[in-house]
Amino acid sequence: MKSELKSISKLSMRFLGLLMMSTVILAVLNLLFISIFAIKEGAGISPWQVAKDSAEAIQQENGSYTLSEEMKVKLKEEQAWAVLIDDTSGKVIWNSDDLPENIPKEYTLSDIASLTRGYMDGYPTFTGEAEDGLIVVGFPKDSYWKYMQPGWDYQFIKNIPITLLILVICNIALIFIIYMATNYKFLKSVGPIVEGIQYLPKKEMVNVKEKGALSELAANINQTSAILQSQQRMLKRKEEARSNWIAGVSHDIRTPLSMVMGYVGQLEEEDKLDQESRQKITVIRKQSEKMKQLIDDLNLASKLEYNMQPIHLKDENLVAAVREVAVEFMNIDLEGKYPVEWTADEQVSVCVIPADKSLLKRAISNLIQNCMNHNEDGCTIYLSIDIGESKCVISVEDNGIGATKEQIQHLNNTPHYMLGSNSSGELRHGLGLLIVKQIISSHGGEVVIEQSHYGGLAVRMVLPIAE
Amino acid sequence: MDYIKQKRILLVDDEAALLEMVISILKNNGFQHIRTAETMKEAITVANDYKPEFAILDVMLPDGDGFALLKHLREMADYPVLFLTARGEDEDKFAGFDSGADDYLVKPFLPKELIFRIMAILRRSYKGENPKVNLNHCEIDFERAAVVKEGEDIPLTAKEFELLSALYRQAGRIVTIDALCEAAWGENPFGYENSLMAHIRRIREKIEENPSKPVSLLTVKGLGYKLIVEEH
Repeated sequence: MKSELKSISKLSMRFLGLLMMSTVILAVLNLLFISIFAIKEGAGISPWQVAKDSAEAIQQENGSYTLSEEMKVKLKEEQAWAVLIDDTSGKVIWNSDDLPENIPKEYTLSDIASLTRGYMDGYPTFTGEAEDGLIVVGFPKDSYWKYMQPGWDYQFIKNIPITLLILVICNIALIFIIYMATNYKFLKSVGPIVEGIQYLPKKEMVNVKEKGALSELAANINQTSAILQSQQRMLKRKEEARSNWIAGVSHDIRTPLSMVMGYVGQLEEEDKLDQESRQKITVIRKQSEKMKQLIDDLNLASKLEYNMQPIHLKDENLVAAVREVAVEFMNIDLEGKYPVEWTADEQVSVCVIPADKSLLKRAISNLIQNCMNHNEDGCTIYLSIDIGESKCVISVEDNGIGATKEQIQHLNNTPHYMLGSNSSGELRHGLGLLIVKQIISSHGGEVVIEQSHYGGLAVRMVLPIAE
Repeated sequence: MDYIKQKRILLVDDEAALLEMVISILKNNGFQHIRTAETMKEAITVANDYKPEFAILDVMLPDGDGFALLKHLREMADYPVLFLTARGEDEDKFAGFDSGADDYLVKPFLPKELIFRIMAILRRSYKGENPKVNLNHCEIDFERAAVVKEGEDIPLTAKEFELLSALYRQAGRIVTIDALCEAAWGENPFGYENSLMAHIRRIREKIEENPSKPVSLLTVKGLGYKLIVEEH
């Protein structure tokens, strides 16, 4: 919950920053543009300057006034006219040649003030001080827009820097408020969506309220979640169905197999059998025991694979568990073909770790069964348990036919055959060992297969000892 | 041993063929008195009439499960029960033991296994009835907790008695060191192995002709001990 709030506020801060920055950049750019434009457009001579220049260029000679040729040309270029008004009489004492007709020849003080501030007969007029009077230059109509400031309050001018600063701050605040107002709803609806998206990969049911600006997005997320959930349910149901199917089949095979084993076991014990029949019966008995093993393995493997086998961890004495399995095998080894030898150190009698005893016993008994299955002519099985500081190693070894290096490597590295796509002959081979690996890994340990120094195969189950 | 084979056995399973097979196993092994039932209802009727001393029950019956049947049977009388079932899950086993069964055997099974289990249960449950057990060189009288060797009574201590009882229940089979320690010293019997060896040595002095070359109480190195009982 915290993380997505963080990411949202980060997101909105970044967005706001971007907004502010673009506003500033925009304002600066605009100012720049306007000033460039103003400089460019105002590149010609200012009309006030023209009036001032004219005033300087007029000269008196023998009571009459003349304008310098240079200035005359300039005025012509500008299509402007000019008059010189006498300071004392207010009469025009000189005028340019192209003076429009309705320009008066005499001016009162108020006329002067008016033309200084504005226009004369529609002509924008500008004044300049000459030696004996006032030069008034009139530019063509609509050539200049004239506006004279009415005057400013002194305090206003004095406070302009602070006023500007306040204005800028107000602008920023305004932008922020507008931004927050327009985005409040948006942000509010983004929150749950972000949260929803973050919950999606956790395979949890997600229900985002479908309201606000992003209701469509919320609906999509809810749909996605619903699809994920239903797929997961389907998958689970499928796995359950498969596991139940295997359980059902193995259950149904048990009763008929009981009949086979029951009668074969009785036949084997009969005295009046000839050698050949006895051998055949022994084969049947052994094969039916293998089938029994296979059924048990199949059922357990599928349950472990689909996590349907509850694992009950309890503090157990591993030594006792290994002994129990060993003794179970010795008690049913009818022919004595598979003697079991306990090779652990005599001092070893207790090794307590949290374990599911029945599963661990199953792993050990599968390994012993494997020794027997791969050594039809009999072999000695060596059991031992080594207790180290952080781990405990249960070894099941034999002096039978063993395996080649390649085979051992294969056994160590073969993936779950249930997951593998290889449906060839290897299938049956790994089931017993697969269960051992599954059980040991569910105890946090690992299985190591190697050559035994007794000549056959050695399988070591390495289990961690908790502090 | 004969007294055990005289026990009245009730056998319940919905599969007629399986009933027949189990009967043949039991008869081959000397059991004489067996009655069968295929449903829960029938089982209760038979039990009422037959007063069995031991029952072998299937868990899944057409008109109920074996756990419920066991409850009914226990209301009438208390005798040992073995579940024989195709349901091999651990939970089922726990449920079986929880309901008060003495043992639980999953199908398929070898006849030998079934007989061993039955014998162990019956020996434990009816040990008071035939207190004398013959060994190679002596006789154990469990009722008086004594060994009778060459006409001489040698009393057994409490621990020796417990150990011999545990070994006798599994006569002919190896009993692990841990199981023996548990029988004598209770749950989680860690660190009693040396004591166990001392007690075994003393038992041997009482029951063996030559304690250093035992023939009745055998050692299986590192794993456990085995009591050999002479059958008549």
